[in-house]
Amino acid sequence: MKVLIIEDERSLALEMEHFLKKERFTCDLAFNGKAAREIWCRQSYDFFLLDIGLPDISGLRLLKEIRLDHAEAGIIMITAKGDLEDRIQGLDLGADDYLPKPFSLLEMRARINAVGRRKFQINDFNIQLGGFVIDTRQRTLAYNAVKVELSKKEFDLLSFMALNKNRPLTRLQISEHLWPDSAMDDYDSNYIDVHIKNIRKKLQAYEPPDWLETVRGIGYKIHCID
Amino acid sequence: MHRLKLGTKLVLFATLSSLCIALLMILILPLFVKIVADRNTNAALRSQKSKVIKEIEANGLDYYLEGDSIYGSYSMLKDEYISIEPGNENQLADQIKTERRIVDQDTIVYRILTHTMRVSDKNYFIEIGRKISSISQDGRAMQKMALYVLAGIVILILLANVFYTRHLLRPLNYINTKLLNIKFPFTDTSPPVKTSTFDFKYLDQVISGLMVQINRDFRKEKEFSSNASHELMTPISIIQSKLENMIADASMRPAQVAKMEEIMRTLHRLKKIAKSLLLISRIDNDQYIREDTTSVKGLIEEVTGELHHRLVQKQLKLNNHLQQNVLLKNVNKVLLFQLFYNVLNNAIQYNKPRGVIDISDQLIGNQKYAVVIKDTGSGISEAQLPFIFDRFKRTTGASPDSNGLGLSIVHSIAQYHNLELAVSSDTSGTAFQIIFSNEHI
Repeated sequence: MKVLIIEDERSLALEMEHFLKKERFTCDLAFNGKAAREIWCRQSYDFFLLDIGLPDISGLRLLKEIRLDHAEAGIIMITAKGDLEDRIQGLDLGADDYLPKPFSLLEMRARINAVGRRKFQINDFNIQLGGFVIDTRQRTLAYNAVKVELSKKEFDLLSFMALNKNRPLTRLQISEHLWPDSAMDDYDSNYIDVHIKNIRKKLQAYEPPDWLETVRGIGYKIHCID
Repeated sequence: MHRLKLGTKLVLFATLSSLCIALLMILILPLFVKIVADRNTNAALRSQKSKVIKEIEANGLDYYLEGDSIYGSYSMLKDEYISIEPGNENQLADQIKTERRIVDQDTIVYRILTHTMRVSDKNYFIEIGRKISSISQDGRAMQKMALYVLAGIVILILLANVFYTRHLLRPLNYINTKLLNIKFPFTDTSPPVKTSTFDFKYLDQVISGLMVQINRDFRKEKEFSSNASHELMTPISIIQSKLENMIADASMRPAQVAKMEEIMRTLHRLKKIAKSLLLISRIDNDQYIREDTTSVKGLIEEVTGELHHRLVQKQLKLNNHLQQNVLLKNVNKVLLFQLFYNVLNNAIQYNKPRGVIDISDQLIGNQKYAVVIKDTGSGISEAQLPFIFDRFKRTTGASPDSNGLGLSIVHSIAQYHNLELAVSSDTSGTAFQIIFSNEHI
C-alpha cells in the first residue's frame, strides 16, 4: 500500500515513515501543504496521513482537495488540538478516522488497518497463530474451527499483539491500547501480566502457545514466521 | 446596628435627630412663653401705670382717695387690681415682682408693679397687679399646639426621608444586585448604573473595571494552559514515536531497551499531565456540549467495566445499590464518564486491600438526586479535605503515580454541569457525593 504522510514536523514524519516502511508500506513525505499537492498530483496513493495543523494551508481545505482527487483513498487526520469541532468537521469532509497527538505508532498502525479493512474489502480478516486463527471481523478466536472463549479484553489484547507481531510490546503500550480512556490512571503493568497468564492458560488447553513470548525487562511479543 | 442597611440607618438617624430637636423645643417652650408673657405683662403694667399717673395728675389724688387714706379697686373677675396707699420709704425706681395675694379667700398670683409717687410732700405707693394664671394657661395651650405641629413635622420629615433615601440609594441597590447575581467568569452585560451621584457612578465604574480585568486575566491564564498543553503534544509525539521505533530495533541491547522502556513510562506521565491540563482548560473554555441524555446505571456499569481489572487486582468488593432509574438530561456523557471514572478510580486506589466500595443513590425531594460512592480506605484528614480539588495538590498518602489532577478534573466537570460535590471522610473511609439538580433529572 502507498501512503503519503503530510506532516510539518519532519522528525515525527520521519519516524512515521520508518515505522510504516518496516510494516511494508511504501511511503512518501510532504512537510507542507503545497508540497503535498504537487506530490499527490503526480502519483496516486491508497492512504493519506494528514496533519490538520499545517503552517501554509488549512488542513481541512487540503482534506477536501484530497477527497476530490482520491475518492477511494483512506484518509486519517492527525490533530494536535484535538478540538471536537475540527474533528467533527474533518469526519464530515471525508476523513475516515482521526489520530489525536500524541499518538503511539502502534495506534496509528491499528487505525490504518481498521480503515483499510473497511475500505478496500481486503479478505484477510484472519490472522494465523500456530494452530489458532483470529477472525478480526467476527472478533473470535478458533482452534481447528472450534471457538476458544476469551473475554473482550483478552481478545483485544491478543489481536493487538497479533497485528504487531514480531515486535516487542511494552506493557505500557498494551495498556494504553486496552484502556485508552484512563486519563489519570497509574500505569501498573500487573494487569497485563494477569491477562497474559489467563490467555496462556486458556490456549494451553488446545496447544502450547509458544509464539507468545515474554521479553525480559519490556513486555511481550508474538513471534511467528509467516 | 452593624447589620442594618445604609438606607435604614439614614432614615433612622434623620428621624431620631428631628425627634430630639422637637422634644427639646417642646421642653423649652414654656420657658420661652413665660419670658415673652412676662415681658408683655411688664409692658402692659407700665402703660397702665402711666395712665394712672396721668389720671392722678389731672384729677388730683383725693379724687380717688375720697378722704380715705387708701384706695383699692379690683376688676370684676379679680384679673387686675390697683391700690394706692401712703408709704414712708423713699423708693424711687419702679419694682415689678410676682407675689401671692389673698383676695376673698382666693389665693391669686399676681404680677405686680410698684411705683412710688410724691404728692404734696407725701409718698404714695401705687400697685398695679395682673393675674398670672391666665398667662401660664396660654403657655400650656401653646405647648400642646406645638406638640401637634412638631409631631406632624417629624412625620413629614420621616416620610420625605424614606422616599428620598430610597431614591438616592437606588443606584447602590442596583450595584448590590449586580454583585449578588454575578457568577465567575463575569459574563454580566448589564448597563452602567444610572445616577447623578458621583460616588455611585465611580463605584460602578471601578467594579466594572475590576471585573473586566479579572476576566481578561482569567482568559489569559486559560489560554496559556491550553496553549502550553497543546504545544507539548507534538514534541511528546516525536519522542514517543522515536522510542517506539528504537524499542522495535532488533540491534538494541536488552539493557538499552529496558532504559528506553523506562523513558517511555516517564514520557507517559508527562503525556497524562498535559492531557489532563488540556482537558481541564477545554472544560473551563466551554468546549463541550451538554446535550446528552444518559442513565446513571448504564454510566456506572460502563465505568465499573472499565475498572474491573483493578477491582480484581486489589480484591475489592463492589456493591452496586443503585435504586433509582434516573436519566440524566443535558449532560456531556464523555465528561460524566470521566467524572465517575476518576471518583471510582480514587475509591479503588486509596482503598485497603480486600476493601469494599458502595455505590448508592437517592432522590432528595423532587429537586435533587445524589449518587454516593463510598470506600473503606484510610480516609482524608480534615486538614487536607478543603484542598483535594486543587490542581497538583497531592495529599499525604497519595499514590506516587497520581499526578494530582484527577479530582481537579472532577471539580471542573462538576462545575461545568452545575453539580454539587460533597466529600465526607474519616478513618474508616471516604464518601463522595455527586448531587444533580432538577436541571439534569
